[in-house]
Amino acid sequence: MEERPIRWGGPLALGLLLVLAGAPGPVAAAEPLEAAVKATFLYKFIAFVTWPQSAFATTDSPFRLCVEGVDPFGELLDRVVAGQSAGGRPIELVRRPRFERGSGCHLLYGTVPMDRQRGEPVLTVSDADAPGGSGAGAVITFVLREDRVRFVIDAAAAQDNRLAISSKLMSLAVRQ
Amino acid sequence: MTDLAGFWRHTPRLTALAVAILLIAGGLMAMVSEKAYRDERAGDVEVQARILAATVTAALSFNDRNAAGEYVAALSASPEFEAAGVYDGNGRLFAAHTAGGMLPVPQAAEPLGHHFDGDHLTVTVPVMQDGGAIGSVSLRTQVEPFARRAERYVGMALLLAMTLLIVLVLGAAQAALTRANRDLAEQARDLSAANGALNAEIAEREKVEAALRQSQKMEAMGQLTGGIAHDFNNLLQALASCLQLVGRRAKEPSIQPLLETGHQAIDRGAKLVQQLMAFARRQTLRPEPMDVRDRLLGMADLLTRAIRADITLETQVEPGLWPVEVDPTQFELAILNLAVNARDAMPEGGRLRVTARNRPAIGASGDLVQVTVADTGTGMEPEVKARVFEPFFTTKEVGKGSGLGLAQVYGFTRQSSGRVEIDSAPGRGTAVSLFLPRTAKPVAAPAAERALDTARGAGRRLLLVEDDPVVGSMVAAALDEIGYAVLRAANAEEALGLLTDGDLRIDLLFSDVVMPGAMNGVDLAHTARRLRPGLPVVLTTGYSEDIARIEGVRVLPKPYRVGALAELLDAALGEGDAQDGSSGKMPPRDPLTLTLSPGGRGDSSGNP
Repeated sequence: MEERPIRWGGPLALGLLLVLAGAPGPVAAAEPLEAAVKATFLYKFIAFVTWPQSAFATTDSPFRLCVEGVDPFGELLDRVVAGQSAGGRPIELVRRPRFERGSGCHLLYGTVPMDRQRGEPVLTVSDADAPGGSGAGAVITFVLREDRVRFVIDAAAAQDNRLAISSKLMSLAVRQ
Repeated sequence: MTDLAGFWRHTPRLTALAVAILLIAGGLMAMVSEKAYRDERAGDVEVQARILAATVTAALSFNDRNAAGEYVAALSASPEFEAAGVYDGNGRLFAAHTAGGMLPVPQAAEPLGHHFDGDHLTVTVPVMQDGGAIGSVSLRTQVEPFARRAERYVGMALLLAMTLLIVLVLGAAQAALTRANRDLAEQARDLSAANGALNAEIAEREKVEAALRQSQKMEAMGQLTGGIAHDFNNLLQALASCLQLVGRRAKEPSIQPLLETGHQAIDRGAKLVQQLMAFARRQTLRPEPMDVRDRLLGMADLLTRAIRADITLETQVEPGLWPVEVDPTQFELAILNLAVNARDAMPEGGRLRVTARNRPAIGASGDLVQVTVADTGTGMEPEVKARVFEPFFTTKEVGKGSGLGLAQVYGFTRQSSGRVEIDSAPGRGTAVSLFLPRTAKPVAAPAAERALDTARGAGRRLLLVEDDPVVGSMVAAALDEIGYAVLRAANAEEALGLLTDGDLRIDLLFSDVVMPGAMNGVDLAHTARRLRPGLPVVLTTGYSEDIARIEGVRVLPKPYRVGALAELLDAALGEGDAQDGSSGKMPPRDPLTLTLSPGGRGDSSGNP
């Protein structure tokens, strides 16, 4: 029995989802709501993905979360990671127009194609509905299904990037 | 045994205790089992809840209600789950599943842990993410209904019930057995008592039968001896008459000694017959009211003469002794017989005790006077004791006793309506008791003999020749009482020895005719006349006064009374003083009614 509590009224539903997901801070508009959910998801992915040991310089090296190009989250992302940690490591938020290979990112959100990051231990995240393009080649791609934010996982890309993605997370992914 | 019996006596209490312990143990086991079951159940459900919590972590993190709902719905495969719910970090219901017909989980999250609600068990576990709780999962499951659980205990309960039953049955059986044992023991005791009573009765009966047999034997002997004695009495009387007739007709002097021998034989036979008659209780008694005390005290001298010097005589008579009605002569003879027996039983000396006391009536028997002659002699074996009263039974050497002394005692006492008892044991002496019935008749004045004029006899010295110690003692005692100083000789030879002693003063010779030895009384009389001319001589005999008739000699026929003797002796003295010789009077003779001729010669006492 599939539960579909909310079919219409997207903004309201998203707001509720946001609250349920434990996203901090009040959200006022529809667009920012979607962005807020995605920002939250970005942070939450960290718990279900395991990076190779080589991804971190030392045991207490910070976790680098990078946003490439146009930042759709703005303050939202800062709020999400504020005071949080990723497996005991502090989270470092980096925003740049472009990240090349070896820029030290552990999680990279961008809308440009991610092929250049193949083989790097980087969890690349993209957005199918992003105005600037889908960022083909990303490990995780946000999609909208039934007015809800979902995601697609490219297992092959993850394997290429030497990332181990939890089956729990895999089970939540939708197919392209 | 008693310990065991004591243990089993508590069987009912022990059984109750065992039942209580079993019940408590059963209850405890049930409780423990129930608790274990619940714990186990809670553990199982918690595992399930934790699995569910782990699987819904991502769904909860990413708000995927559909995924969470799918995970929760997967529980429907197990029919035991009634409902399940996933709650978010704020305690609001995130996803839920409810089996058909069951209550849904509550909207708000339940506290962590588990709780039972009737047959329902609800387990709530946190959903953990990175060490922090991001929500909770509640799982409600149906616990096996109590009825079904109870069914599992039925087996155990049945076992317990059977055990209880066995314990109860054993307890009851043991109690019954104990009771039965007690009853049995009681019966055994009763039986034993009854057996004892029966044995005692048998022993008593045997004793009575033995006594009866003894009594019948004595009776039969009495009849036998009595019949023989009677016939012999007649024969002797006829023989005596014949000899008298022959003596009158035959003037041939040479025939006289033969006649005399015959007379002597008849005299001896008469004595024996007399004793037999006494035992057979056919003698002619002349009972008269008598004071036993006077009689016994009067016999003191007589008894002293009968016993030896190394024997002490004690006489004890209870004051106020009742009178009895017996033949005084036979009584004295019986006491004398007993005294002689006692003397012979004490060859080393000792003490002879004669006691008399009243024995008030007990039961059917009337008042009695008990006269006991006891010695400190050798005593008797039981088998000897049983036969001492039989005539001719004696333990003495042949010729020392006739075996008729105690027979006389027995016959006299029985004929006087009394009885005799013997108490004797080897080494403890012998006590013979005569029980004589009390009489209500007044006792006549003291014997006339004592009032005799003893003037002439006083101080005179008399030589008494008598072979029978009993008779001799009695006569000596009587003469002593009259006032004579009595010298004793047992036969003619002994008397002659005294008579030839010129220094010995002898005023009067009194001799029996029939005596053992070479000389008889007649010969002695002749010799005495020769030795001491003028010596008064008195002879006594049962029947042969014809042959004893000698010039100047008086003959006293037996039986005689002491008064008659005293009179005759007096007369003889007076005649002797006057030097006048004439024969005494001759009262009718009856040789077979002698009263002073029994041979109580210390026989049949059983003393070896």
